[in-house]
Amino acid sequence: MMRDTRVRRLPMALSAVVALALAVIPLPAAVDAFRPDFLVLVVFYWSIESPRAGGLALAFVAGLALDVVRGVVLGQHALALTLMAAWATHLRLRLRVFSVLSQSLTIFALLTGYQFVLFWIDGATGNPVTTFSRWLAPVIGALIWPLIAGALSRSHAR
Amino acid sequence: MVAFRNTDTSGRTTGLLLRCVLYSLLALGLIIFDKRYDHLGQIRRFLSVVAYPVQVAVASPFEGWDWFRESVSSRETLRADKAKLEAELRLANFRLQRFEALEAESQRLRALRDNTAAITDRFLVGDIMDLDLDAFRERVLVDKGARDGVFVGQAVLDSGGVFGQVARVEQLTSEVILLSDAAHAIPVQINRNGLRTIAVGTGDMSRLKLPYLATSADVVAGDLLVTSGLGGGFPAGYPVGTVAEVKRDPAQSLADVDVRPAAALDRSRELMFVWLKQAAAGSAAAPATAATSATPTSPANPATANSPGASTAAPAKAATTSAPDKPSAAKTPAHAAPAAHAAAARAPPAAAKPPADSPKPAAAAPSRTGEIAP
Repeated sequence: MMRDTRVRRLPMALSAVVALALAVIPLPAAVDAFRPDFLVLVVFYWSIESPRAGGLALAFVAGLALDVVRGVVLGQHALALTLMAAWATHLRLRLRVFSVLSQSLTIFALLTGYQFVLFWIDGATGNPVTTFSRWLAPVIGALIWPLIAGALSRSHAR
Repeated sequence: MVAFRNTDTSGRTTGLLLRCVLYSLLALGLIIFDKRYDHLGQIRRFLSVVAYPVQVAVASPFEGWDWFRESVSSRETLRADKAKLEAELRLANFRLQRFEALEAESQRLRALRDNTAAITDRFLVGDIMDLDLDAFRERVLVDKGARDGVFVGQAVLDSGGVFGQVARVEQLTSEVILLSDAAHAIPVQINRNGLRTIAVGTGDMSRLKLPYLATSADVVAGDLLVTSGLGGGFPAGYPVGTVAEVKRDPAQSLADVDVRPAAALDRSRELMFVWLKQAAAGSAAAPATAATSATPTSPANPATANSPGASTAAPAKAATTSAPDKPSAAKTPAHAAPAAHAAAARAPPAAAKPPADSPKPAAAAPSRTGEIAP
């Protein structure tokens, strides 16, 4: 058990840093709205795969990192990501036996919840973003979930 | 099929709910402290220094590619560029020849009106870091921060005109909010007739709006908008954009005016941070300025056309008489004018002198000295 946790930490940290980089990598403005929340998907993956290795601490720290690089109010992404990662952890045993389609649908629900919390805090702190395109990210995220999860599960395959 | 390999299926993660609540409360606390009390500046600054390597690492391949492209560009391209730049420089210098004289003249005239406009003191060039901050907000990260003296609210220009203002300052970087951000507004003036209004961002980098102009307002496509300098944040007289289209619907009381920004909001790589300097027009000017800027000084208002003379000759008097309320402020110049003319006859040498030989950033308006960086 202990060994298992330690082995997982390296791919976990690496994948989180790569996902953070992908979150700010410059894209053409036309494509920018379609950028999925890579870091969120990575955190969901690790919450489902091995919640003991990173768990909610990973979600919280990743959210804080997103707050800093995005320059929004500190704690916004941290809160959203913590709540949704906890939900993902709660669902993880079911998720593992789900078909790809059901998994994607669940991830879509989680991502939508995540966006909703962000949306809510945006509004509560006085700078609402009301464009519809912010609800695109969950769709794209759910669509690429099988790819991300596949790549990540390969990353720590032995 | 996604294979989860973890064989740990012990149903429960101990105290998931408890930890979730704990972390959520922590995050909520952060949000409240950051938003309400602004106590987290130090933490944020520290975190941003930690995040800086990631940001640099992400931005560097793109900068590296630019550098590579530049270093392999052919001799002919470089020559052509050089010729073009030299031509531009020649033209710019040609235009600059008269600039200093005009600036001095403008300051003299403003001193006569006791209207001390903020003029620019110092520039600092910063590079935009190649990062996407947020798809739904028009903001960029620039590689100059608190270390370089950048402050929140500082005006930022590019070579075309006003670019935006500083929204947040970290130790090494700062975040600039673009003119086109939907949450940004800037006081402007139509260069042709001096009509003042406010230009508001639309969330679209190629478009601003003038939402507060009456249907009957004198604005036509092609009008140049410059900063009015009101509000004190932006230096006056820098181009903001040109009016692209004016839609007038007689049923509406306000016109629908589109503006094309002068700055290359989507293309600029280098920005200039601007420090303002108060023109030194004598220490007595400060209260008078405060008083005149509080009154509705429309350029079309004949009363204010007289007021300059009045307030120059008797700054203290103008300040006190124009203070009470607007109607009497509009009257003030009328009865102050005779005295003003008499005084103005001997005043000019004294009035014209201060701005000419005191270019130092004198603390003319105490309220604004906080913004003047070291």
